[in-house]
Amino acid sequence: MNKTLQTFAVGFASVCLLSNLALNNAIAADDELVVFDWAGYEEPNFHQDYVTKHGDSPTFSFFGDEEEAFQKLRAGFKADVAHPCAQSIPKWRDADLLQPWDTSRIPAFATLVAGMENIPGLSGADGQYMIPLDWGNTALTYRTDKVNAADVRSLQAFINPKFQGQTSIGDNVDDAYALAFLATGVLDWTTATDAQFETASEWLRKAHENVRAYWSDPAALAQLMASGEVNVAWAWNETATRLSDEGHPVIMARDTDEGISTWVCGYVLLKGGEGNEAKAYDFMNAFLSDDTAEHLVYDWGYGHSNQAALDKLDQEVLASMGYTNLDSFKDKTFWQSPVSSGLRERMIAEFEKIKAGF
Amino acid sequence: MSAEGEANGKRATLLIGAPFIYAAAMLVVPIFTIITFSFWTQNYLDIDKNFTWANYIAAWSEPIYTTLMWRSLGISAVVTFFTVTLAYPLAYYISFHVPQERKTLWLFLITIPFWTSYLLRVFAWKIMLGYNGVLNSGLIGLGIIDEPIRAMLYNVNAVVITLTHAWGPFAILPIFVSLEKIDRSLINAARDLGDAAWRRFYRVILPLSMPGVIAALLIVFIPTVGDYITPGLVGGKDGVMIANMIRLQVSKANNWPLGAALAVNAMIIVAILSVTMVVCLRAFIKRIR
Repeated sequence: MNKTLQTFAVGFASVCLLSNLALNNAIAADDELVVFDWAGYEEPNFHQDYVTKHGDSPTFSFFGDEEEAFQKLRAGFKADVAHPCAQSIPKWRDADLLQPWDTSRIPAFATLVAGMENIPGLSGADGQYMIPLDWGNTALTYRTDKVNAADVRSLQAFINPKFQGQTSIGDNVDDAYALAFLATGVLDWTTATDAQFETASEWLRKAHENVRAYWSDPAALAQLMASGEVNVAWAWNETATRLSDEGHPVIMARDTDEGISTWVCGYVLLKGGEGNEAKAYDFMNAFLSDDTAEHLVYDWGYGHSNQAALDKLDQEVLASMGYTNLDSFKDKTFWQSPVSSGLRERMIAEFEKIKAGF
Repeated sequence: MSAEGEANGKRATLLIGAPFIYAAAMLVVPIFTIITFSFWTQNYLDIDKNFTWANYIAAWSEPIYTTLMWRSLGISAVVTFFTVTLAYPLAYYISFHVPQERKTLWLFLITIPFWTSYLLRVFAWKIMLGYNGVLNSGLIGLGIIDEPIRAMLYNVNAVVITLTHAWGPFAILPIFVSLEKIDRSLINAARDLGDAAWRRFYRVILPLSMPGVIAALLIVFIPTVGDYITPGLVGGKDGVMIANMIRLQVSKANNWPLGAALAVNAMIIVAILSVTMVVCLRAFIKRIR
C-alpha cells in the first residue's frame, strides 16, 4: 500500500510540474503589451508586422461581451489596449477608462474609410478615443439544408414556433436589441421612445422561447451550427464565411424583409496600462496594414477600416459584402451607433431578465 | 497560572495567530464589505452610500430573484438527495465488504476525478449529453433514435446530473469515515440478540453513521446552492440559478449593491436551512434509538 501511495505522490508531483510548464509556455507571449479583445482576434495574421518587429504576439485576454469587459476593467484589470465597439465608447469615457490616441503616430488614420474618422462619440475635445478597425454585420444566418429559405425571409423567423429550440442569439446586449428593434420596425435606437423600447423587449421575450443557447463567442456558435443543433442564428459575418469555407451549408441572409444590423469596432488606448505605449502603436499599425485587411475581408468576412488597403483588394468581392462605402453600408440597416447611457443601462437590465426567462 | 501553562498559552497564540489573521483578512473583511455594499445603491457608475433596504426589498419581492432563489434551493436539495443516496451504498461497501488492505486503493480510485479541474468535468458532461455527444451518437448508432435528443443538455436535469457527479466524493468520504468508526462488536451484539440484517442496519449502523450523513448533506447542499459554473455551462436558459444572477449583478448588469444583497440573502437562507436540517436529523436519530 505504501508503495502505491509513494508512486501516487511521485506521479502527482510530476503531473503538477508538467502542467505548470505547459501553463508557463501558454502565457509566454510578449508581456509588454496586453490586448483585451474578442476571442479570435489573437490570430497572429492580424498583427503580423508586430510579430516580425518584436518576435512575438502581444499577450491577449478575452471577453465575450463589452459589459463584461467594462466591469473587469473597472475592477482593476490592467490592459493596454481594448477592442470595444462604437456604442460602448460613451460609457467607457464616462468611467474615465480611456485616453486619446496620438493619431500622428498612426499613418493609416489619414486613409480611413470616409466617415469613420468622425463617427460621433468616438472623439472628444482632447482627441480620438477609438481608432475604427473592423466593421461588419449582424444578420440572420441559417443552415440551407435544414431550413426552408421561405421561412427565413423575415426576422420574424426568430419568433416562429417552427424553430423552437433551434435558434441562437448572441449573449451581447447590443446585437440582441439591434435585432429586436429591427424586427419591430425601429431603425435608430438613439431616437427610440419608451414605447418602442417596450415593444422591442416584448419581441425579444418571444424570441427567447425559441433560443437553444445564447452564443458567447463565434467559435461556440460555429459548433452549434455545424452540428445542426442550431439552424437559425443572429450572427456576425465570420460565422457564415468560415462555416461555408469548411463546407457547411450555412449562409447569411442579407435581404430579409427587415434588413440587417451594422456595426464598427476598433481599438482604444486604456488609462493605467502598464505596458509599453510604443508597442500599442506598433500593434495598431500592424492591424491597419494591407495584409491584415486582406485576411480580415477574405477569411473572416469583415470590413477593414483602411481605405488605402481596401483599394488593393478585389472590388467585386468588397461590393458583394457591402464594404465599398460607409454611408451606403449603413443605409437601410440598423446602425449600432453610440447610444445614450440611460437607454443602454435599461437595455442591459432588461436583456438579462429576458435571458433568465422573465 | 503555572509557568508551563503560560508557555503553552503563548505557543497556542503563536500557532493560532497566523491562521487567524489570514482568515480574518480573507473571510471576515470581505463578508463585511459585502454586507455594507448591500445597503447602498448603484447610481450608473457611482455608488450612493445612503443606507437603504431597497436591495433586500427587491430580492424578496421581484419574481425573478425569488424564483431563482427557490429554483436554486430545489436543485440543491435534489442534488444533495441523489448524491448522498448514491454515496451511502458505495461507502458502505468499501467499509464493510472491501478487505482492509484494499480500502486505501478504493478511496484513492474515488478521488481520481479530482485530478482534473472542476471545469473540465463539467465540460465532459457537455460532451456526454450534447446534441452530437456521446449518448446521442450511441443511441443513433444503435438505431434506437433517428434524430438526436435535444432534451438532455441545457436544462435543469443536466445541472442535477453534473452536480451529483461532481460532488459524489465529498459525500462518500465523510460517510465512509463514520461507518469505519462503528464498533463492529455492536453489530455482532445486535445479531446475537436476534436482529435480522435490515434491523441491524436500521437500528445500529444507520444511527451511528448519521454524523457522516449529516456532514455529507451539508457539504453538498451548501456549496451547490451557490454554484454558477455548472448552470452557466450546462443549464442553458432554463437552468439559471441564483449565483448566476449574483455574478450578473456584479458584472454585466453593473449593480454591485443588488448583487451583494442577493448574496447575503442567499447566505442567510442557506444558513437557516442547514441548521434546521441538522436539528431535524438529530431528532430523527433519537427517535430510532
